[in-house]
Amino acid sequence: MNQIVHIFPYLVAGWVFLCGLYGIATSRHLVHTVISLAVVQTSTYVLLLNIGFRTGGAAPVFADISPGITTVDPIVQALMLTDVVVEATVMALLLAMVVKAYEKAGTLSPDDLRLMRG
Amino acid sequence: MITPSPALPIAVPLVAAAFLAGLRKFLRRWLADLIATATAAANLWLCTALLRASWHSNIVYWFGNWFPRGRMVVGIGFEVDPVGAGLATLACLLTLLGFIYSWRITDSGRDLFQPLMLIFMAAMCGFAMTADLFNLFVFFELMSTAAFALCGLKTHEPAPLQGAFNFAVTNTVGAFLILTGIALVYAVTGALNMAQIGFLLGSRHDLLVIAAAAFLCSGFLIKAAIAPFHFWLPDAHSVAPTPVCVLFSGLMVELGAFAVLRMTSVMFGQSLLQPHSAFRATLLLLGSLTVVWGGLMCFAEHHLKRVLAFSTISHGGAMLLGVAIGTPAAITGWLTYLFAHAMAKAGLFFTAGILLHRLQSMSEPQLFKRGRPLRFTAVLWLLGGIALAALPPFGLSNGEDLIESATHAHAIHLWVTLMFFFTSAMTGAAVFRVGMRVFFGLGDAGPADRAAKIDEAPDGPEEQHHIPARMFLPAALCIALSAAPAYIPGFGRWFFNAAHRFLAQSLYIARIYAQPVHYVLPPAPHSDLGSTLMHGAIAVVCALLLASWAVFHLALPRGFRGATHLEGPMFPLRKLQSGHPGDYVVWCMVGFVLLGGCLFLLP
Repeated sequence: MNQIVHIFPYLVAGWVFLCGLYGIATSRHLVHTVISLAVVQTSTYVLLLNIGFRTGGAAPVFADISPGITTVDPIVQALMLTDVVVEATVMALLLAMVVKAYEKAGTLSPDDLRLMRG
Repeated sequence: MITPSPALPIAVPLVAAAFLAGLRKFLRRWLADLIATATAAANLWLCTALLRASWHSNIVYWFGNWFPRGRMVVGIGFEVDPVGAGLATLACLLTLLGFIYSWRITDSGRDLFQPLMLIFMAAMCGFAMTADLFNLFVFFELMSTAAFALCGLKTHEPAPLQGAFNFAVTNTVGAFLILTGIALVYAVTGALNMAQIGFLLGSRHDLLVIAAAAFLCSGFLIKAAIAPFHFWLPDAHSVAPTPVCVLFSGLMVELGAFAVLRMTSVMFGQSLLQPHSAFRATLLLLGSLTVVWGGLMCFAEHHLKRVLAFSTISHGGAMLLGVAIGTPAAITGWLTYLFAHAMAKAGLFFTAGILLHRLQSMSEPQLFKRGRPLRFTAVLWLLGGIALAALPPFGLSNGEDLIESATHAHAIHLWVTLMFFFTSAMTGAAVFRVGMRVFFGLGDAGPADRAAKIDEAPDGPEEQHHIPARMFLPAALCIALSAAPAYIPGFGRWFFNAAHRFLAQSLYIARIYAQPVHYVLPPAPHSDLGSTLMHGAIAVVCALLLASWAVFHLALPRGFRGATHLEGPMFPLRKLQSGHPGDYVVWCMVGFVLLGGCLFLLP
């Protein structure tokens, strides 16, 4: 049982990753592609949360807890925050490109936007 | 000579970029150009100074002076070794040449071109010098985001948006693979500093370590455009402005392979890299696949920038072979090859940019015969082709020879030699074929494929009858520098020193913990001029024959027109280049499964 609890978050992360990839691969709308990419990103949150988690750990704010008390890993939270910021930029850029592409081509289906073929 | 702080090459361009972006409404174009060029020049000086200072021992710099406590690394640090500093110098040099080339042109994307280029340069410098794994990821993302924006600068056309979108989606998936790998490494070791990770991992070799390595490598190989991760690269190159193409092909792609090498040598040095391990075999397999795939597609394309893009893929695969072999001699070859290829490819892209500026097209059929008045451009183009075909004195021949001789008396020697010959002959043939048709007007216009019709608004307003010297200068300089390893004495010894230090895991770790290191440089290998000349000459002759075969196919009897199939429209590999980001991501996953599977299953 303990083993399953231990492995479960990894499985969830993998599942979310695959869901996002499936979304990108079968996407028929560019906004949907970008959102699927965000879903892929969510899987990294699950993974990082799991790695930093300590059973019974307190929040790592050391202002009001005495040293020596178990806390969850603060580094992982810093990583996640950075990740959120960086990927928010990428998503914004991608959505801006989608808006521009719609202005130019009048369509958002990647099947119709294939000037790059061949 | 004073040593500048390693933080400066990142801080200076970022501050200048913020300044330029903030004040762009008020700055005249020439003033913005001047500030950007001066910043790139200053950065070039800083990186050169760092390169000199790192010569005898790596420079370690802790941000906020958070130096390690005991074995515990608490801060974010840079460790500047000659390879990292050298790549940063190359980034600054290419950016500087790009600014000179685009002085007062590249009107597309009007005001944001210079700030984005500066951010791109800063990110590449940081990427090459950092010692922290997560910091590496942050610089990777900064580099990628600036690259996506630069690629899609010409937002008033449909093609750049699609190319940049495919590029962005594929590379962002790569970033998530890297982040997953970092998370797994952190789960195993609880550390983020690469040296500390290497120290903690030791020779540990279990499922989690292999999985982490597979995720990290796949992510960086997407950036390195190794088949089957490479589909984004031609799309990005065919739409990006010329100076941006130079940076993409010259350095960004190679930085992917650099990251793989840095990771494997510093972090997984003892856990994955035993000689003849599965990891080397996997990289050899992927590199060979890339050489063949890129070479065939390079000859099949008729859009000038796509021809050069596929040539970058093929050469990137050849460089991965050097990384896979991984002995100090092979890494010396890899560095020589990287430098010479960056210069030759930059020269060719600048020359293609001159053609675009003068004749308003990048399509081989449309340019047919129209390049005949441009004699100087023709010379540069053909010299670039000879450089790609690795004829001495161009540096690719030295690199090739060093990598080949590193496998001497080994079963794969013949295979590696064959692969290098293939990439030289195919990419050289494609460049010669374009040269014959465009500059000499030989044969017929050649088949027109879909991708050759990708419209690109030229950098200037209308057809120009005058080509300014500032466009020729970077092209000529790049081609000349591509032969630098031949005429600057000591180049080989420098590269060997850099490669040897780069591969020494214990050295890197000892410097982070400020321990004394004893380091004796073994004698450098010599490259044999006779064999390089012979290999280069054979490759050039084969390339010329193949190019002539394609150009003069109508003069041949019907049964002997095989080259038309090689460059024809029905080429099966071309169908895979579908232009759909979903397909590209699926191919990336195929590559990930292939790489992970090989790592798990091979003994």
